[in-house]
Amino acid sequence: MTVRPEPFAPHRVQGTLLQVEGLCKAFGGLRAVDDLSFELTEGEILGLLGPNGSGKTTVFNLIAGALRADAGRVRLSGRDITRHPASIRTRLGIARTFQLVRPLPHLTALDNVLVAQLFGRGGGPLRPEARDASRRLLDLVGLGAKTSVPGVNLTLVERKRLEIARALATHPRVLLLDEPLGGLNATEVETALALFRKIRADAITLVIVEHNVPAVRSLCDRLIVLNSGRRIAEGKPDEALARPEVIEVYLGR
Amino acid sequence: MALAGAAALVAMPAFTAASGVLNWGFLILLYTALAQSWNLLGGFGGQVNLGHAAFFGIGALATRILWLHGMAVFAALPAGTAAAAAAGLVIGAPGLRLRGPYFAVGTLAVAEILRITVGNILPEVSSLPAARLAAYAIAPRYYLALGLAACVTITARMLAHSRFGYGLAAMREDEEVAEAIGVSTFRYKLLAFIISSGFAGAAGGVFGYYHLSFYPQFAFNPVWTFDALLITFLGGVGTVWGPLAGAVVFLLLREVLALRLVELHLLIFGVLFILIVVALPGGFVEAWRSLPVMRRELVREASNSVADSVRRRRRSP
Ligand SMILES: Nc1ncnc2c1ncn2[C@@H]1O[C@H](COP(=O)(O)OP(=O)(O)OP(=O)(O)O)[C@@H](O)[C@H]1O
Ligand SMILES: [Mg+2]
Repeated sequence: MTVRPEPFAPHRVQGTLLQVEGLCKAFGGLRAVDDLSFELTEGEILGLLGPNGSGKTTVFNLIAGALRADAGRVRLSGRDITRHPASIRTRLGIARTFQLVRPLPHLTALDNVLVAQLFGRGGGPLRPEARDASRRLLDLVGLGAKTSVPGVNLTLVERKRLEIARALATHPRVLLLDEPLGGLNATEVETALALFRKIRADAITLVIVEHNVPAVRSLCDRLIVLNSGRRIAEGKPDEALARPEVIEVYLGR
Repeated sequence: MALAGAAALVAMPAFTAASGVLNWGFLILLYTALAQSWNLLGGFGGQVNLGHAAFFGIGALATRILWLHGMAVFAALPAGTAAAAAAGLVIGAPGLRLRGPYFAVGTLAVAEILRITVGNILPEVSSLPAARLAAYAIAPRYYLALGLAACVTITARMLAHSRFGYGLAAMREDEEVAEAIGVSTFRYKLLAFIISSGFAGAAGGVFGYYHLSFYPQFAFNPVWTFDALLITFLGGVGTVWGPLAGAVVFLLLREVLALRLVELHLLIFGVLFILIVVALPGGFVEAWRSLPVMRRELVREASNSVADSVRRRRRSP
């Protein structure tokens, strides 16, 4: 079974998929994201780290279009999407999960995924195939037995899985995962990591925000570490985590 | 059963000469159509329009004027509908940029301005001329209301099972999530608003064709909005059959209350509305459907949240 049952050809070309240039976002006097630039290579898994309040979720909100940038650009495959609304970015291939899980409360797990299937990239009319594809995604994340349970009645772990299934249903090229492992036990973390590797194998590029350092170390190809909205380190996980600036930020307070 | 019900509704005028009974049928169907038109945007899309009366009024006025000027009602009614839908576009395009309570208050304000303006421009009562009165019959009004109620209900049913309906549902549940999964929420809101306004205008048009004499301003009275809301919530907001069930209950109640407690019946409706919203948020339709499930759900919900909080406590470092 594959993550993407739809007919899109996998993008195997190694190139720049997403470019972030000079991104800024302030809330009142607080600079949540401060002149941040980075590139995302097709097929990689990038980890975005940083202490609480360092601006990780804000970066996701700016890339996905939930917030408007004060300055800077976001490009997807070279195309400037800085002014596009979130729904259009989703249809162009950017999907995200929410750190504070947000199931559509009164829709069943299946319908939660189905809406994304209908409206996401390459979405289409309401056909039985769309429902089948949604069911397969729920199977994939281990919610196969919960299809008809409304969002409000799912447990926290189930909601986290639903977030991922729903994001996948939009057939993303880039998937932004915001602390997908928070609240999971060791076995659940292992299952989730296996799932992320499988998603990557299906040619979906991943950006993951996560506080679980061992998990990040084993999963990510590259890390960017933020502090106060600025990048303080970047590189292979072992290198980036060994940098004095990073150690200071994490331990030095 | 639905088929038998429909047959009975169609055959009703043939079996009853009493225009009182047909009048009742007419009112139930008119209120069903009006409430369902509100439900399309409010119930399915979660956008609370408190200016619904404005579209009812525009439809009523346009239809009545055209009809009294000699246009056939079958042409006047679609024209009134189109006028209300166009007003929906004009008011909705800027108005829907407002969210939640701001949208609700904004629509109420626009509708009140319209009502006062109409009262100033057309202060005279609109009565049917003698020739029209002589030709007046309830049966054609009844059939018009029946056709309209059927149309709106069928639209709601189609909506509930369509891609459009799923987009509206996602938007109602969580607008930011809806956007994040690809729903162009503004476009869908506007489209639903136009359809809702158009049907409200059609209901107004049927009223304008039915009522013997009324002040134009009366068709814009906010009571049309609040009756539509009350009926929708009574029967079940966001359901296909809620408005019909609600209209029957509402008209029966109103009859009893208005006769016995003339002064108090508005207060009683107000209290009833709050009770329904608090205690029976799904209305009668949902309550009926979920009676056996409800207790089980309550137990499961409670055990889930306990399990969740235990889990979270266990995992926190
Ligand atoms: N909508 C908002 N309005 C005002 N301030 C905000 C808003 N969103 C985030 N902030 C502030 O911006 C800063 C960065 O927040 P952000 O959520 O991006 O951090 P984070 O790195 O995701 O933190 P965490 O690890 O706790 O999730 C914080 O100080 C936060 O309080
Ligand atoms: Mg965060």
